[in-house]
Amino acid sequence: MIKIEKLYKNYGKLEVLKGITTSIKTGEVVAIIGPSGSGKSTFLRCMNYLEKPTDGKIWFGDQEITDKKTNIMKVRQNVGMVFQHFHLFPHKTVLENLTYAPIKVKGLSKAEAEKIGLELLERVGLSDKASEFPNRLSGGQKQRVAIARALAMQPEVMLFDEPTSALDPEMVKEVLDVMKSLAHTGMTMAIVTHEMGFAKEVADRVLFLDNGMLVEDSPPQEFFTNPKSSRAQEFLQKML
Amino acid sequence: MNLDFAQFIPSLPYILKGVLVTLKIVLLAGVLGFIFGIILSLFKISSIKVLGWFADLYTSIFRGTPLVLQLMLIYFGSPQIFGYQIEPYTAAVLSFSLNSGAYISEIIRAGILAVDKGQQEAAMALGVPYRKMMWDIILPQALKNILPALLNEFISLTKESAIVTTIGVMDVMRRSYQVGAEYYSYFEPLLIAGLIYYVLVIALTFLGKAVEGRMRRSD
Repeated sequence: MIKIEKLYKNYGKLEVLKGITTSIKTGEVVAIIGPSGSGKSTFLRCMNYLEKPTDGKIWFGDQEITDKKTNIMKVRQNVGMVFQHFHLFPHKTVLENLTYAPIKVKGLSKAEAEKIGLELLERVGLSDKASEFPNRLSGGQKQRVAIARALAMQPEVMLFDEPTSALDPEMVKEVLDVMKSLAHTGMTMAIVTHEMGFAKEVADRVLFLDNGMLVEDSPPQEFFTNPKSSRAQEFLQKML
Repeated sequence: MNLDFAQFIPSLPYILKGVLVTLKIVLLAGVLGFIFGIILSLFKISSIKVLGWFADLYTSIFRGTPLVLQLMLIYFGSPQIFGYQIEPYTAAVLSFSLNSGAYISEIIRAGILAVDKGQQEAAMALGVPYRKMMWDIILPQALKNILPALLNEFISLTKESAIVTTIGVMDVMRRSYQVGAEYYSYFEPLLIAGLIYYVLVIALTFLGKAVEGRMRRSD
């Protein structure tokens, strides 16, 4: 579904990504982990072109998104993204947050969009919050709404950029539970996370990034019990 | 102090008629200035450099010269600019809207820049095109934050409109001045004019508070 070839990203002289090649298959759940500054968020953000790669190619299905001729707006409609700090639209109600893009971008009718929106709110357990404004919600609730908002576009892939890092500890679980159940539906997911337990339990593959390079790419059982690189061993020692 | 308002009572309707003239100028210039301001502010944050330069030059000219000069240039210069003499009312609306557009564009630009960058990213990630993103997501949030500053601009526009007197528009100011001339007594009619402007500004303040309250319902 997503293929990445020799991806480089520089900010001026700073090299953030140094030639990453990998792919994500349909239905796969991939956890991207690594120390801070390793480039994992930048890597994820390249996948929907929120960051423009300096060099390298990325395919979404059979479309090369790094090709100038590709309509990136069209591609983004199929790639949901969830941010660390939610970025809900504060001036719109919860339901309007969910229906805005389906109506304005996909051209759904208000009734259709609201039907989908209400179903999704039920799925994330927030049906009673449909007419609230985001500022009235807790962090965990906001993030569940943000997940529902991304799902409302009925994307083929979901990208998560540290979705629980800004949450109070007691709210992490409710968000991870929603993501878990999403994984069980067969959604293709790429998740930048520090939740090792979650990565171990839910991911099909773990990508370990360090210093802008893909150091390990292995199934979680293998990665967490028997990491190959010394860098990953060090990292896991600190985490556990 | 010897004040005699009684003798001016017959002239009150005449002065009050000027309120309509003032309001017509201020409302139209306010709306047009707001529209110019939005367009100029979008130019200023645009990635197309020429648009930014144009908007900056525009702002520096209209902020850098007196409003009364702009008014007179447009009115007395109209035969040379447009080829015919325009109405004083038209000149007033034109100069006020062009002038406040420059100020409002700076206010809106600040408002747009103050909106969290994550809002733009969230909209982009959903595939929302730039124009819709600006119109539906960024500008409404920017407007909420800049409402007090906008209100200031509309208040000063209301008061500054008194300078249309200089090109002979029959607004509140000019009418009270003329009444003063008629009675050889300027103090009272000018006080009346002051009261009228004050009431207008207070009304505007209440209107602004109401709008702000409505926009803050999402807090």
